[in-house]
Amino acid sequence: MKRLGMLRERLIGALGTDGVKTEPEDLSVYAFDAYTDGGRPLAVVLPRSTNEVSAVVKIAREFGEPIVARGAGTGLCGGAVPAAGGIVISTMRMNRILELDAANRRARVEPGLINLDLSRRVAADGLFFAPDPSSQQISTIGGNIATNAGGPHCLSYGTTVNHVLGLEVVDETGEVFTTSIDDSGYDLTAALVGSEGTLGIVTSAWVRLLAQPEAVRVWVAAFDQMEAASEAVSAIVAAGIVPTALEMMDSVIVTAVEAAFHAGYPTGAAAVLLVESAGFEEDVAAAESAIRAIVNQHGARYMRGARTAAERAALWAGRKGAAGATGRIAPNYYTQDVCVPRSKLPTALRAVAAAAAEHAITVGNVFHAGDGNLHPLLMYDRRDRRQVAAVVLTGNAILESAIELGGTISGEHGIGWEKRDAMTRVYTTADLAAMGRVRDVFDPRRRLNPEKIFPSGARCSEVTPP
Amino acid sequence: MRTATAPVAPETIDALGTIVAQADRGGGKISIAGGNTLSGMGLPLEAPALALSTLRLTGVVANESADLTIAVRAGMTLQGVNVLLAGQGQFIPFDAPAPQYATVGGTLAAGWLGPRRHRYGRLRDYLIGSAIVLADGSVARAGGMVVKNVAGYDMSRLYVGSFGTLGILVQANFKTIPAPGHARIFLAPLPERTRERAFAALAALPVAPSAAFWVDGFHNSIDGDDGNEGRVAVLLDGSEALLERATRDLRSALGRAGVPETRVFDTGARESFQRIVDAYVANLGERSVTYRIASFPTESAERALNIQQLARRYDLRTETIVDALNGDVVLRASGLDSRTLGGKIESFDDAIHELEPGAQVIACEHPHRVHLNAWGEAPAAVERMRALKARFDPNRTLNPGRFVGGI
Ligand SMILES: Cc1cc2nc3c(=O)[nH]c(=O)nc-3n(C[C@H](O)[C@H](O)[C@H](O)COP(=O)(O)OP(=O)(O)OC[C@H]3O[C@@H](n4cnc5c(N)ncnc54)[C@H](O)[C@@H]3O)c2cc1C
Ligand SMILES: Cc1cc2nc3c(=O)[nH]c(=O)nc-3n(C[C@H](O)[C@H](O)[C@H](O)COP(=O)(O)OP(=O)(O)OC[C@H]3O[C@@H](n4cnc5c(N)ncnc54)[C@H](O)[C@@H]3O)c2cc1C
Repeated sequence: MKRLGMLRERLIGALGTDGVKTEPEDLSVYAFDAYTDGGRPLAVVLPRSTNEVSAVVKIAREFGEPIVARGAGTGLCGGAVPAAGGIVISTMRMNRILELDAANRRARVEPGLINLDLSRRVAADGLFFAPDPSSQQISTIGGNIATNAGGPHCLSYGTTVNHVLGLEVVDETGEVFTTSIDDSGYDLTAALVGSEGTLGIVTSAWVRLLAQPEAVRVWVAAFDQMEAASEAVSAIVAAGIVPTALEMMDSVIVTAVEAAFHAGYPTGAAAVLLVESAGFEEDVAAAESAIRAIVNQHGARYMRGARTAAERAALWAGRKGAAGATGRIAPNYYTQDVCVPRSKLPTALRAVAAAAAEHAITVGNVFHAGDGNLHPLLMYDRRDRRQVAAVVLTGNAILESAIELGGTISGEHGIGWEKRDAMTRVYTTADLAAMGRVRDVFDPRRRLNPEKIFPSGARCSEVTPP
Repeated sequence: MRTATAPVAPETIDALGTIVAQADRGGGKISIAGGNTLSGMGLPLEAPALALSTLRLTGVVANESADLTIAVRAGMTLQGVNVLLAGQGQFIPFDAPAPQYATVGGTLAAGWLGPRRHRYGRLRDYLIGSAIVLADGSVARAGGMVVKNVAGYDMSRLYVGSFGTLGILVQANFKTIPAPGHARIFLAPLPERTRERAFAALAALPVAPSAAFWVDGFHNSIDGDDGNEGRVAVLLDGSEALLERATRDLRSALGRAGVPETRVFDTGARESFQRIVDAYVANLGERSVTYRIASFPTESAERALNIQQLARRYDLRTETIVDALNGDVVLRASGLDSRTLGGKIESFDDAIHELEPGAQVIACEHPHRVHLNAWGEAPAAVERMRALKARFDPNRTLNPGRFVGGI
């Protein structure tokens, strides 16, 4: 208790009273992210600058406490939960654009800046930030970087790592270092992106901005069979057409979304495909006729384009709000996140349906079809222990089938706390040891977001070579 | 850097692993080479080493053409991969010089940034999986054959650009992209007074070219014409309709910038582009040194003129390629006669680094090469890089001393 009081005092000394929270009711919020709870922090701090982050890390180190960085807490794998207690550093108050270099299409931003706010603020310069997780209205650039977030548009723009030019990072000792993809030497920027807060705390980032496309068109196509829809997706890509997004929804999702948002999706179809093409007029026009032909060949009921910007926005709002809309079906949902080679989509979807049927769980599929990235939403009621157990079993079965199909255990949400033990299913001890070597350099004492990514228990010692 | 004995060229990953493990245990050193197109880059190894070649470690491991993915062994040449992919209407934006020799492993290990990255992104962004033999001889795999994967650290990307100092890449899995149907190249004289305006015009084009250069010198190798004036060279690719529009836009933009007349041709456009890239590492034997400077597009024209002037003060002949879209400046200085100018190359090297601290030496066979500041100013995080090297290769078995900061 006395130690805690001293810790609190030191933190307040560094950040002021308004930057430190230690009241139990304040702390309980930080035990959760969008996945689940996973431990309670001793304190939560809200620094305003890199120096303040560094000061907090130094204090934590003195007290032997672990550190967990937190953006908006929208992570779906328990990445931001303080699994081993310690201090949570919230980036909430670090949300400025520090520099905007529109001519060279780049900006330096603080980690707490909300993804969509960045695009909004550079829109006047004809620019935007391409990574667009469905959580983009609330998730932070720091969180996006730490998870290497994807989104519907990463089919053509790539994931967050493709849009980060350099980082400013506070390491486990409190020291500040910078990386740039144009530096000679190892590409530390790429190594840090996606490291889920286990290698350092990002305190600012140079990001790449893209010029807004001159033409954007969005279509919906409806199919009577999910399988035919998946095959159409593969055929579009195999034909050499790269739309900016190829998103799929099954009837469970479409029904929920239409009831919630009236997004304009056709109801009664087994699968709805949302296609966006953006770029130059010439390319978009060519893409439309090619896609129409392929979709028809695969037995689509119809294909319809959004006629106005408002219709387009409505179609996207439906897609991005899909998970929330399932609240009409069950009080809780669990999102699985696996990725398979695109041509294996139909098989993977059959496996999802089989697993859900076996455990009597309602499943809705809304996913990044163009990337083979599945997101089965398993619906349940958290208060019912039988249902909770069934969701866990279904989720595991889906994971297993993705691995069997040559896929991976996370396409975009990350490993965090949730999937760390599944890491041994896709990687050998030698593979994990290579990752452990990187951790050894940046966080030898395992104080940055401990209990994440690396498998728990006995295997841990094998994972990190002596 | 080259050793006198013929290189050892294992045909399997296991055999390669055994050689590496043995060397590591016995205190031996290994220098690793693919096509050797970049042997003029980097510091000399700190100890004599066994030359290990990947040239026999070839072949396609998986070719999922419908999924737009491919996995190859690291010793395969870029040309080999490109020809295969072209047959499927796909490509990977490898921009390396001498693709008939350069290997996939060497290209990834070099981690260079191609002129087409403005349009297509970096090579590293196409690497979805890898296998690497570490210094202890173990094989570590990362990623796989899926295009999105965030299971753990992105190890593959860390190996890109590590110059063989963290491990030996033995397999690379890539995502591919559909090849653009048509290509066209523009060549025009570029008088000095029009340069800045021409650059600004190129940067502002609505339909971005795939590559755009200002080239001074190298003419014979590029278009067979050895006029003294600089050239602007612009590569466009895409659908026919898009090229028509891009061509109109480009003509009028360059015209407004005062660029006199333009030569346009479709046949051989990609070959012309390749000749410019090949010129980057073209070597004039012992009497030349080539530097590369990373810059921003808005600054590159001026910085190129500054280093040209500097070289002229040293009475050196210069040839320059400026990548207008990405900002890179490549300068080849020649006339460094080794007998009379032995010392001068070093003072020129000092002077260029005073002006451009980050300048890297990318090609040089000069006997004084060992005294040059091959990697330019050490990066801010060099100590962390050293620590990574120590953790991955504690006995300094792989390419010891060659990389940044003597890593
Ligand atoms: C409805 C919904 C839709 C979603 N859609 C997508 C999607 O389409 N694509 C996708 O990829 N994800 C998606 N997600 C998951 C989540 O939004 C992303 O992972 C997002 O990038 C997390 O950002 P955040 O700011 O909420 O980070 P948090 O959840 O706060 O943290 C995530 C991880 O990042 C670390 N971290 C945060 N900030 C920093 C920092 N400054 N330095 C170092 N580490 C840090 C944390 O420690 C943690 O490990 C979705 C989530 C929800 C709830
Ligand atoms: C001016 C210039 C511009 C360039 N532009 C581009 C470009 O635009 N795009 C691009 O992709 N490349 C570019 N390159 C670099 C290009 O990657 C290399 O020239 C070439 O591809 C290296 O292949 P190689 O097989 O000849 O390698 P080598 O010359 O044999 O080796 C290069 C380095 O890699 C190491 N190495 C070789 N094989 C392996 C392996 N299997 N595992 C680990 N380490 C290995 C070697 O030890 C050495 O350090 C450029 C180079 C120069 C000089």
